Amino acid sequence: MKGLIGVNRYLPSCAALLALSAALFSAGAWADLYNDGKVLATGGVSMTDGAGGGGITPWATITGYGTRDGINGDVHYTYVNLPNYALNSIGGAVGLWDRVELSYTNDVLTTGSTFNTVGLLTDTLGLPTGIAPWNTTIKMDVFGAKVRVFGEAIYDSDNLIPQVAVGGFYKINHNRALLKTLQASKSKDWEAYIAATKIFFPINTLVNVTLRYTAANETGLTGFGGPKGNKREIRPEVSLAYLLNKGTAIGVEYQKHGGNLEGQSVDLNGVVVPGDLLGSLTQHESDWYDAFIAFFPSKNLSITMAYAMLGNITLTPNQSGYYISLQASF
Amino acid sequence: MKSLKVITQIAASAMLLFAAAQPALAAQDPTGSKQTTYPGISSDALEKFGGEAGVHNWVEALFYYIMLDNRINKIFIEHGNVARQIALNTQLEQMVLGGAVQYEGASMSAAHADLGITLTQFNAVVEAAYNACERVNTPYSVCNQLIAALAPFERSIVTR
Ligand code: HEM
Repeated sequence: MKGLIGVNRYLPSCAALLALSAALFSAGAWADLYNDGKVLATGGVSMTDGAGGGGITPWATITGYGTRDGINGDVHYTYVNLPNYALNSIGGAVGLWDRVELSYTNDVLTTGSTFNTVGLLTDTLGLPTGIAPWNTTIKMDVFGAKVRVFGEAIYDSDNLIPQVAVGGFYKINHNRALLKTLQASKSKDWEAYIAATKIFFPINTLVNVTLRYTAANETGLTGFGGPKGNKREIRPEVSLAYLLNKGTAIGVEYQKHGGNLEGQSVDLNGVVVPGDLLGSLTQHESDWYDAFIAFFPSKNLSITMAYAMLGNITLTPNQSGYYISLQASF
Repeated sequence: MKSLKVITQIAASAMLLFAAAQPALAAQDPTGSKQTTYPGISSDALEKFGGEAGVHNWVEALFYYIMLDNRINKIFIEHGNVARQIALNTQLEQMVLGGAVQYEGASMSAAHADLGITLTQFNAVVEAAYNACERVNTPYSVCNQLIAALAPFERSIVTR
């Protein structure tokens, strides 16, 4: 009986939700709102923070295939395989009237053997470092919003004014103990960016430049800021895409990274271990590069494959590897 | 506080760019000469398109795809005159690619003013344009010269 009463209490709100979704999805209303009128590939793909853009950089384009006449959305799964890490990112985003974009993505980064030496030691000593003896994992939620401000990336080929959007992310990294060990100053933080995108049809090329105002270490996967505090700075990002045909693009990307944890060692529960004591415990962060190919077999699916060159990540150098991202639009 | 300042600066520069963008947002109609684009349309675009015959083939293919597209064909059945539009588009497309041809039809704003064309419908015609290029075996990079030349007409054709 008690269970039934419990269910009863939720019934009104359930009914309201059902009514709302019924209203939204009833043939008429949904048919009016739903739109997939963008030209193939012009919705871009989903970057690792979940926003519409390239592979690692948010663009000024609004995600999905909706024009200003309606709404459209997409879900994505991205997998990056590096020598010492694997990133799994699953998320979704909606584009509203080609004006506003809302996104969410969940990043799960496994760190392989990177922290095993530290983990074994601290596990034996019983220190709360956020490092498991094996396979330490970092999870991060990323909420994003973007507003297209002015300009037309595609059709204004008779001027050089790009499409410009401003946006932001709020990132919540859940491995706080590890971030403390790495000496990051924060585990949750926001970033803001301004992105400019333009297609140059005569040379089949898309150019995007983004300035991100952030204090992130490795996009926030190893927290924000360092021992000197959480100082945000403007970091540039660039994407160049060459359109091979109406459903295929190849290109390169660059993303500037910060040096908040550059040269820092690890902090084991208050004891900062000299960087060269246990092998190499000195952290470094490099700028990111990638080269990609994106296929758009239909407006419902895109497949992006890339070779990511991420350099030094925390304790490990030469982190280059493969990136694959699937995006389904609806 | 510093972050607020940076955001204000970013917003201010965005607004400045926007102000600079204003004059360029004026409606675009055929000017009687090659379309000005940045960067410019390649000088051999019309030749690569197959000259007048090639452009005519492309326009025929374009209307074949338009009339097969259930999203937009009704507009053309109701308001269009396909034979006239094929003839006029063959002139227009040669002209914007830099051919010595005079377009004799109505301005883009006048021709489409009463049709209430949406961006979604405009994009459907762009998709038909790419399909037409494939149909007549015009390479994608050559096709994009024509897309670049016609793209600015979006501002005069889309009225909704
Ligand atoms: C860049 C794209 C376009 C170009 C270059 C173009 C070009 C033209 C031309 C040259 C004419 C003939 C004007 C005249 O009769 O004097 C015309 C008429 C027409 N166009 Fe377009 N057009 C474009 C896009 C569209 C779109 C997107 C639609 C609808 C979805 C459309 C629907 C029509 C119709 C119905 C007419 C006939 C109007 C009438 O005769 O009153 N056009 N267009």
